[in-house]
Amino acid sequence: MPASNPPSASARNAPVLNLQTQQPASAGPARTQNPPKRTAQATFEESAETPALVKMNATPYAPQRHINDHYEIVGFISSGTYGRVYKAISKQRHTFAARQTPVAKRSDGTEITAFAIKKFKPDKEGELQYTGISQSAIREMALCTELSHPALIHLVEIILESKCIFMVFEYAEHDLLQIIHHHSLLPRTPIPAVTLRSTMFQLLSGLLYLHRNWVIHRDLKPANIMVTSGGAIKIGDLGLARLFRQPMHALFSGDKVVVTIWYRAPELLLGSRHYTPAIDLWAVGCIFAELLSLRPIFKGEEAKQDSKKAVPFQRNQMGKIAEILGLPRKSDWPLLQSMPEYQSLSTVALHNPSVNRPITLEKWYKNIIGNNNYQPPKAPAPDETALDLLKNLLEYDPLKRLTAEQALQHPYFSPEKGDGKPPGWNCFNTGLENKYPPRKVSTEAHEISTGSLPGTKRTGVQDDGLLRPVQKKMRD
Amino acid sequence: MAANYWDSTQAKYWTFTKSDLAAQRSELAKLNSQLHTTYPLPDRRHMSIFIQQALNKLSRRMTLRQQALATAQIYIKRFYLHVEMRKTNPYLIMATAVYLACKMEESPHHIRIMLGEAARQWPELGVTESSKIGECEFALISTLSSRLILHHPYRALSELQSSFGLSSEEGQLAHAIINDSFNTDLPLLYPPHVIAITAVFLAVVLRPAGTLQAHSSAGSASAAGMMGIGSPGLAPSIPMLSSAAAQNALSGLAGLKQAGPKLTKLVDWLAESQVDMEAVVDATQELVSLYEAWESYSERNCKESITKFMTGFSK
Ligand SMILES: Nc1ncnc2c1ncn2[C@@H]1O[C@H](COP(=O)(O)OP(=O)(O)OP(=O)(O)O)[C@@H](O)[C@H]1O
Ligand SMILES: [Mg+2]
Repeated sequence: MPASNPPSASARNAPVLNLQTQQPASAGPARTQNPPKRTAQATFEESAETPALVKMNATPYAPQRHINDHYEIVGFISSGTYGRVYKAISKQRHTFAARQTPVAKRSDGTEITAFAIKKFKPDKEGELQYTGISQSAIREMALCTELSHPALIHLVEIILESKCIFMVFEYAEHDLLQIIHHHSLLPRTPIPAVTLRSTMFQLLSGLLYLHRNWVIHRDLKPANIMVTSGGAIKIGDLGLARLFRQPMHALFSGDKVVVTIWYRAPELLLGSRHYTPAIDLWAVGCIFAELLSLRPIFKGEEAKQDSKKAVPFQRNQMGKIAEILGLPRKSDWPLLQSMPEYQSLSTVALHNPSVNRPITLEKWYKNIIGNNNYQPPKAPAPDETALDLLKNLLEYDPLKRLTAEQALQHPYFSPEKGDGKPPGWNCFNTGLENKYPPRKVSTEAHEISTGSLPGTKRTGVQDDGLLRPVQKKMRD
Repeated sequence: MAANYWDSTQAKYWTFTKSDLAAQRSELAKLNSQLHTTYPLPDRRHMSIFIQQALNKLSRRMTLRQQALATAQIYIKRFYLHVEMRKTNPYLIMATAVYLACKMEESPHHIRIMLGEAARQWPELGVTESSKIGECEFALISTLSSRLILHHPYRALSELQSSFGLSSEEGQLAHAIINDSFNTDLPLLYPPHVIAITAVFLAVVLRPAGTLQAHSSAGSASAAGMMGIGSPGLAPSIPMLSSAAAQNALSGLAGLKQAGPKLTKLVDWLAESQVDMEAVVDATQELVSLYEAWESYSERNCKESITKFMTGFSK
């Protein structure tokens, strides 16, 4: 928590006239009554104001719960595209409001003590008016409220206050990007095979749940996959996720570009309008490869969209894929010719002749395993079935690509493979010593007050060597 | 969610028993007894019809999707279960519900467009800043506890339609009956498939027997309603069935007198399925009673009583 916190006046006087007079039967805790005068964290004060006693038409909005009554910010984690993420702990329960609240619990009944609070800033920085909540925030709020699975990040609650949205999640100590980064530091060590297998198993289980519930994540990448200190994988960042039950045309009409470029499926690169859950499995394949090699497998450069023009063909990214897999062929992918960018495909080889002599995934895998310096018997290399799983995830034809369900049936996960046990729900259960450093949480005030520029991306993790490209996501 | 309605927040948090609903409402009324005395309102179903028709008019302006309209109506219903209507500006709540529903149903409209269209459609709105919709959106989401994903009966209807080989006319009739059901408590009481089955049942009983015209006390109106649904996406502004026709359907449910092959198939299927028959019977009754109530509906009454509490309150 920043030392320079100015004490603030009581953030709000409970308005007399209040739309929220009644407590929804289903909402748990009782409404706060006249929050006591208190010092709130500067971070959460930016736009706090006193709602005046307003007439009817003004719909005076008064939150039922106040973020500062229940959470104590310990620091800043990350500045994402749409807001900032802070680490918080439960407030000392000496305020009246805090005592009214039942402690936050997981579905297994254990108490949650640390939180990650994602704060959506109003659309424009410093905006003093309500401008309407962005569609991506609405999606994330609605989906996180609706969904619940051990491999999905757990939403504790949402607080709407002072024109900001606070989504309170269970805190996860690590994420896959950070774990990859840790292993890539010298002396470089491979991610243990047991960790890898459990991670993939949990990730696919979470994805199967999403897909069974008609949700495509659309932004799977290491930074969006959290790992708790207990080794549980938690898929996060549902800001781009959406339901695909709707008529398929609706899927394309909204946001034109999805998925961070390195993880973007070939059908998206080729301009497909009818994308399916298969795009998530391509991303899972990329993540699998990255966990093996500790660097992005298809590290292309994004072609920028020129002002209002149509989305450009991502030639460089397509080339990176083809350097390993070769260019997609009609014989392997029957619908290839109907892809909008089919014609552009022939230009890939002109810019990148190496795609004509692709490395092949076998060779890539062999090199990686060879260089990874596994130390059997204590730290054996991944089971030989891993390559086959990887191949079937990085399958060009989305119709042939494994589904989450099929992937979970893959021999790689069968009990007799690997260490002779089925994959577990703790990816750190390796019998090895592997201590990952805790997430970097900044407590310096200046970092909290300086927001990132719109559209840029900064993570709390040091970016050296693992610099992400500026994301190209067209959210609404 | 989609795959499993039973795990949805709609099933878990927004489906009630009739006595739950009654208790919740009387609680709300008790807290606002003064307002209730000063500003009496027409039958709740009349208010719902008023809101539905107001939304339909807006929808014609903005060509909104049926799905978004349905979602908006449920948001409003849930909201007023917890907030005293007389303390709100219903036009602002409607505009906000539509604004939010359009985002949820993936057909968003800019907040300023939303305000402009709503203000033109409803001069009573009396709001000139889009930030008011933005603020109201916070109130709406918070009152709904962010449970915004809905399961409507339309999906179940299209499944039933193909498995029972309904004619497109029957399908449209059932669709329109579902639209009408938004004016009752049914969406707060039963799972969407129960409402869909009820609608299909009513449509199948009524269509082949030609009861629609024969029994209809407001025959021409209902028939016109039938024709009106040629344009899907717009609910007709008149009830789909006369109460007499609906009543007839109800007796059909009990006696199955004019059971055609389709009806027999439906009944057999219902008997074998896990569908809660009591719920279907009750839903049919609710609809019958809606159509009865509809006969005394007056748009003017609803509008005026809203204007009264709105002006009274801002004084
Ligand atoms: N539950 C959590 N526990 C710990 N850290 C988290 C948690 N959720 C998010 N973070 C951190 O915050 C970062 C940004 O979160 P998230 O991806 O949800 O936000 P975003 O604004 O959509 O970001 P982006 O644009 O980076 O994808 C994550 O990459 C992670 O480092
Ligand atoms: Mg992210």
